[in-house]
Amino acid sequence: MGIALEIHRVCRDAARQHGPGRIESVRVAVGELTAVEPELLRFAWEAVVAGGRHAGSTLDVVWCPATQLCSQCGDVKDRAAGSWLRICPACGRPLEVTGGDELDVLELRFTPDDDAGGAPADDPRPNDRGDGP
Amino acid sequence: MTQVVTVRRRALEASEERAQALRRSFADSGTLVVNIISSPGSGKTTLLEATLRRLTAGHRCAVIEGDVATERDADRIRALGVPAHQILTGGACHLDARQIEAALGTARLLPADILFIENVGNLICPTTYDLGEDFKVALLSVTEGDDKPFKYPAIFARAEVTVISKIDLLPHLPFDLAAVEEQLCSLNPHATVLRTSATTGAGIDAWCELLTERLGKKRLASAPV
Repeated sequence: MGIALEIHRVCRDAARQHGPGRIESVRVAVGELTAVEPELLRFAWEAVVAGGRHAGSTLDVVWCPATQLCSQCGDVKDRAAGSWLRICPACGRPLEVTGGDELDVLELRFTPDDDAGGAPADDPRPNDRGDGP
Repeated sequence: MTQVVTVRRRALEASEERAQALRRSFADSGTLVVNIISSPGSGKTTLLEATLRRLTAGHRCAVIEGDVATERDADRIRALGVPAHQILTGGACHLDARQIEAALGTARLLPADILFIENVGNLICPTTYDLGEDFKVALLSVTEGDDKPFKYPAIFARAEVTVISKIDLLPHLPFDLAAVEEQLCSLNPHATVLRTSATTGAGIDAWCELLTERLGKKRLASAPV
């Protein structure tokens, strides 16, 4: 929930630069190592935008699998413990993690208000404290 | 007409910027900051009590406590004569940088040599939030079972130090210490693993030495040239 609120904040900030309007959808990158569950994040997003001017907008999650690199063996495909393996299964060397910690707002689809003097794009929330990602 | 707006920004950028600002101020003041994370009941506050009893003679310590409800943990720390501030999250399962910033603004915790932040008891969410700390410490009590590192890998991969607590109970439990240490090593080959018991005092000296050593290194790094 806290992460959905932060995504909402980034989106409102980005949308504001394009004048008043409505956010239709948001694309976010979620890495495997962030411990963020896409389905829960989409659900939290619905709750965050409910009742506001962006209500009904969707959150599209681009899933980014963890990637690991061994200095000796190169790209390591083997996975263990939910991809948190840090030792190369082939040679025992420590692995470098090269991807999977993404938690980025990539882009949003935005419809500006026809009436330039319409409601502000901002959507103040009474409480922006989260109770979990 | 609907337009596509490219954003490409970190979702937690505001929180991460706050954490970096905190980190800079802790670097300037030479304060070592430790973010302690574990499931509820694994002994975070008890470890802190044992730690403070040893460290307060030579070091100024302060504690920020995070809980959903009650001042109990902060009261336990204050009973030792150590300044403590209780953050009540009212349901949130982790602390974030904004709360730390606010706590430091209202409570008289600094100047301090070591600031301990006891996070809300939870192995998942606190892992994602940077509080400006020098390092995260994960606590795993032997009563929780020896399968936990692989079941909750994120925290054990990110913690520089894992403290296996309540080892005085090992004779009564089917807890495979070697298997746990093997899991921890494969998740984070560079982590330090300590075995402690706040009840018998086992391992507490080694933990305190680690803290004072890290404080010394930080002081050297922050000392004006």
